[in-house]
Amino acid sequence: MTGLPILDIAGLSKSYGAVKAVNGVDLQVHRGEICGLIGPNGSGKSTFFDCSSGLTRPNSGTVKLDGQEITGWSLNRIAREGRMLRSFQKTVTFGALNVEENLVIAGQMFTFPSIAATFGIGARSRARIDGLRERARELIRISGLWEVRNQPAGNLSGGQQKLIQFASMLMPEPKLILLDEPMAGINPKLIERVVDSVRYANDQLGVSFLIIEHNIDVIISLCRRVVVLDQGRKLAEGTPSEIVDNQAVREAYLGG
Amino acid sequence: MSLQETSLPAPGRDLRLPFGLALAALAASAPLLLGSYALHAVIISLIFLLPAHGLNLLVGYTGLLSLAQAAFFGVGAYVSALMAVHWGTPFYLNLPAAGLVAGALALPLAIPALRLRATSFVMCTLGFVIIGQAIAKNWISVTRGDMGLSAIPKPHFAIGPASFTVNGTTEFYYLALAVAALATAIVWMIVTSPAGRNMVAIRENETLAESVGIPTWHYKLLVFMVSAAFAGVGGSVYAHYLTVVSPLTFQMSYSTLMLIIVLGGGPGTISGVILGSLLFVGLSEALRIAPELRMIAYGFCLLALVFWFPKGFTPLIERFWTAIGGRS
Repeated sequence: MTGLPILDIAGLSKSYGAVKAVNGVDLQVHRGEICGLIGPNGSGKSTFFDCSSGLTRPNSGTVKLDGQEITGWSLNRIAREGRMLRSFQKTVTFGALNVEENLVIAGQMFTFPSIAATFGIGARSRARIDGLRERARELIRISGLWEVRNQPAGNLSGGQQKLIQFASMLMPEPKLILLDEPMAGINPKLIERVVDSVRYANDQLGVSFLIIEHNIDVIISLCRRVVVLDQGRKLAEGTPSEIVDNQAVREAYLGG
Repeated sequence: MSLQETSLPAPGRDLRLPFGLALAALAASAPLLLGSYALHAVIISLIFLLPAHGLNLLVGYTGLLSLAQAAFFGVGAYVSALMAVHWGTPFYLNLPAAGLVAGALALPLAIPALRLRATSFVMCTLGFVIIGQAIAKNWISVTRGDMGLSAIPKPHFAIGPASFTVNGTTEFYYLALAVAALATAIVWMIVTSPAGRNMVAIRENETLAESVGIPTWHYKLLVFMVSAAFAGVGGSVYAHYLTVVSPLTFQMSYSTLMLIIVLGGGPGTISGVILGSLLFVGLSEALRIAPELRMIAYGFCLLALVFWFPKGFTPLIERFWTAIGGRS
């Protein structure tokens, strides 16, 4: 783990009224790493994600992506300019559109850098769209969604929609992906496929990951480092085996 | 050879060109087929198609329900009328000016309005129409209040020594048809572009759209402005057709008519909105034969529509297309 961390968060805090949802959390994700983020329900994991990804503004603290400060940037700007993408806990797709269109949309803003360019007519912009379609089809094939590629995403199962969401995030060649409970509510067979997809993106495409997940087996198999949150604070940090043996972590989970 | 042809299941044919040509021929020969009153109704339909196209971009593609179209329609009508009456500028200058002013005016209105949530946004857009009418009524030194502006010249084109005035109903029909065709082409270009796909993404799920890098706020502002520009252009044609404008151009019922055209025709489709404008404006004009019962009959027609065609006419158009053997 040498060099600058890809994501460097320092002293992040967010309150809702009197509730300190996130209270001064520091966290780094190193280049090429898959880092786990766990904690009991209500420990502030999702708020932490929302503040890091630009969906909500933190009260204080800084977020640096690849050495550049991005605190206060909007979600779309962080995605577009920072190439840091995030998934949502609740499975979401563009339901009325088919799988291929879903992926093409996910890649568009990176292929057409400005609003003006998105109206670009002519051979060059058509070539760009063709390139996007090609990449979308390749990712659809890798994700095992080939048979359903022309179906509206909203008609597919929750697990398949998770795969669409994951494949969509790979469209723009991201640097870092934040996954919010990618395994929640999907069957064990699909869990393996999502795990494989994460490994593939990490190994072959060099994408770093920060993953919130309740399925501890998935965390153990994917991550070499895990951060534990409890009541908005960082409780522990270490390898999965250190975390599993940690007394404070056990108490936080069991004692609630 | 014939064996091979018959053994293949009949694939959908690309009927766009023949069907398009047939429609064009029908549109071109309409003045021969229709009486002057029916032709007048078609002109009004073509004029209302413009704000409806704009509203479709907003409601059908981007998912924002707005009742402000009549306000921008009125702005376009007044801009054209004032320019023509005071400065004597020609139609072909007033038309783009009406679109530009309506589009530009939409920006300061949209910035606060789009910060509101769905229902409040609808109420706010409704307010724009009421404010527009109040200004048209009370800014008497400019708008002449309830008297309105009259003697707006019919469109006049002059190229070098040759000049041509669009006087009769038939001539105006072709002018309105040309403007409507151009507007339809522009809408088609927008919705088939990557930008159009981004608009649909915003309609489907705004947060997800934002998370894949789409600047949703800027998109919504732009679409609102483009939508207003379409309405402004429609208002300009309207002013030059009727040759009078009054505060009644800012009418709530115009906003609802435009919304009925889009929702009844088929939101998010171009053909549905074209059919919608012909049917709903045509219906409203046709019912003038029974003035006392007109609005009641209109209401019943709408009720029948929502019960039998909850998705507008689009499914009907699709079924027709498949029936004549077209490829989807």
